Amino acid sequence: MSDQPAFTLNIDQNKYLPLDGREVHAILTVGSTGGVTTQVVSSEAAEVIIVDTSGSMSGGKIREARQAAATAVRTLRDGVLFAVIAGTEKAGMVYPGGSPRLVKATAATKAEAERAIGRLLAHGGTAIGEWLNLAGHMLAAHPSAIKHALLMTDGQNNESDDVFSSVLAGWSGRFVVDSLGVGDDWVPAELRKVADAMLGTFDFVRNQTDLSEYFRRLTQTSMSKTVAELSLRVWVPQTARLKFVKQVSPTLLDLTGKRADVNPLTGDYPTGSWGAEEREYHVCVEVPPGQIGQEIRAGWVKLVRPDTGDVVASGNVLAQWTDDLAQSTRINGKVAHYTGQAELHELIQDGLSARAVGDVDTATARLARARELAAETGREDTARLLEKVVEVDPATGTARLRRNVDKADEIELDTGSVRTSRLRKEGF
Amino acid sequence: MTGNEKVASCPVCEAPVLAGDIYCEACGHPMGAPTCASCGAGAVDAEGYCERCGLRQPTGRDHAETVLDNGAAAVTDRGLRRSRNEDAMALMASGDTIVAVVCDGVGSSPRADEASAVAVETAATALARGASQQEAFDLAGRAVAKLATSVYDAPACTYVAAVVEPDRITLGWAGDTRAYSLPDGGLLTEDDAIETGEITAWLGADAEGVTLHVRTFTPHAPGLLLVCSDGLWRYLDGYAFPSAGTPLEMAREMLRHALDSGGQDNVTIALIPLGEARE
Repeated sequence: MSDQPAFTLNIDQNKYLPLDGREVHAILTVGSTGGVTTQVVSSEAAEVIIVDTSGSMSGGKIREARQAAATAVRTLRDGVLFAVIAGTEKAGMVYPGGSPRLVKATAATKAEAERAIGRLLAHGGTAIGEWLNLAGHMLAAHPSAIKHALLMTDGQNNESDDVFSSVLAGWSGRFVVDSLGVGDDWVPAELRKVADAMLGTFDFVRNQTDLSEYFRRLTQTSMSKTVAELSLRVWVPQTARLKFVKQVSPTLLDLTGKRADVNPLTGDYPTGSWGAEEREYHVCVEVPPGQIGQEIRAGWVKLVRPDTGDVVASGNVLAQWTDDLAQSTRINGKVAHYTGQAELHELIQDGLSARAVGDVDTATARLARARELAAETGREDTARLLEKVVEVDPATGTARLRRNVDKADEIELDTGSVRTSRLRKEGF
Repeated sequence: MTGNEKVASCPVCEAPVLAGDIYCEACGHPMGAPTCASCGAGAVDAEGYCERCGLRQPTGRDHAETVLDNGAAAVTDRGLRRSRNEDAMALMASGDTIVAVVCDGVGSSPRADEASAVAVETAATALARGASQQEAFDLAGRAVAKLATSVYDAPACTYVAAVVEPDRITLGWAGDTRAYSLPDGGLLTEDDAIETGEITAWLGADAEGVTLHVRTFTPHAPGLLLVCSDGLWRYLDGYAFPSAGTPLEMAREMLRHALDSGGQDNVTIALIPLGEARE
């Protein structure tokens, strides 16, 4: 169909392995191009807007939240199915009223929704799992739609870890959730769990007055998706082992645990819905030892539509053993770039966790190294945030943690560390 | 399907399949695919990879031999260190004229095996119908250039062609594929290469101002014309060419020498009897 986007899959790797080489790394660049216009919509879209209305939202926050939710509703394209949920220790329907269901966006329903949002008050607790459950049930009634939820919270989840985790596991891959944390009293780790399970993003809204703009942008992005679901289908040889499959751009997202077996050698990894965009994935395969000159297909990657089984793009990850060091030691620029980005993310996460439990030595070492790496790799924003947490004496090189760290700076560092920079073209 | 049918297992996923099944019901693998040279599974796909162990399968080009009625013979071999043979050769007779063309795919270019194959095929066909060395070279060059999608994606190969008539031999070459006269081992061509070994002339869309070297001479003594790629000649220092046997036996012996010496590159050897050695 001409209104379907065309997909491309490019594979960057150095296929040459030394004789004892076992690990094959490749960066898959998946692009969706052409044929996509916002006018021509091939799939039905469904959007649930979830607003935290717990007690901590009282005052200015609830006013900004109402404003933001109203902006999101206004951004909905006519014809999109939608609902608005208010989240406390329960999930309540804000619009439409009555039994949980989605309604079609029209000028009239959007106006009604805005009026309902205007009456929202702050009270009660926080149970994010409950909110996602209600959203999931409503979205599940529309199996062929591009399913998305937008979640905003300012507080800490009061659910037990077990309950929260089982809700996330139950809905994982069945709709996409983008979430926003507002203020400095929320826990990035909780929204990170949502993003990981629901193949979405999570972001820090430092100034609550920016909330509307975040809602508008996320709703608009969600509205631009035209392909409901795609999976990366990865085959590896019987004697090989697929070590990991990660999205590395625009954000880091480990897909390894989301495998659905297709057959003993092949697994599907969900990538969520697609608009006109480009994403990159890092695949690592451990292959059995080989002989000089032997070439194998270490991975066969296909981008498939799980509903129809159609293959929209495919490519090979290759391996060839050589005793020519010049060949086998050449490092592919893209692989090196994203390996560095993943390392930076891990250093920041490890460092912040160590700092939280009072392990000063580990925190100092990790965060100082992260600061160095951020500077080396041109991540100036991240380096600047790291400087607010750890300081390095330029004369001696000695690092120490700063005593008074702004909570918001720490959250920004934590949430921002999943975003990666693209490799500049001249870097190839 | 009835319960009595013989049960086998899928070569890819090892799920049970019934005799007569066209596809494995577990993984969809088509039954009756060619057998893998490495793991033995009947699972080689259309792209030439085994769907069980991943091995890229050897092709007919990995080792090939050609012999003409007058004894002229040629062998080509993948060698020991390359995953495929990017050399190509043609050896054919047209009346009492023998045509031999050897091309060596430039390893740093994409699809170099296609470049050498199309160059050899185009040039040999042209020479056999009486085209001049220059004409055959130009046709081959255009055919190779056509494989490119851009100058950054330009398959390339070297080139040597020999036309052996009863009283006259013409050689045409570009790059570092060579011709020698045997038994003395005299080199008849000059490489287009700089001191460090990099070639300065090749066929391909990214080749600029490449001119064909042409040399014409008359054989004075019986012997053999050797046309070969660098996979052989890099191992010729101090080597005593075989002095007995048919050209095919001699070519095989030279190949063995190249492989015993390391077989770093693809090897192609063509031997054409000259003078009174011609029957």
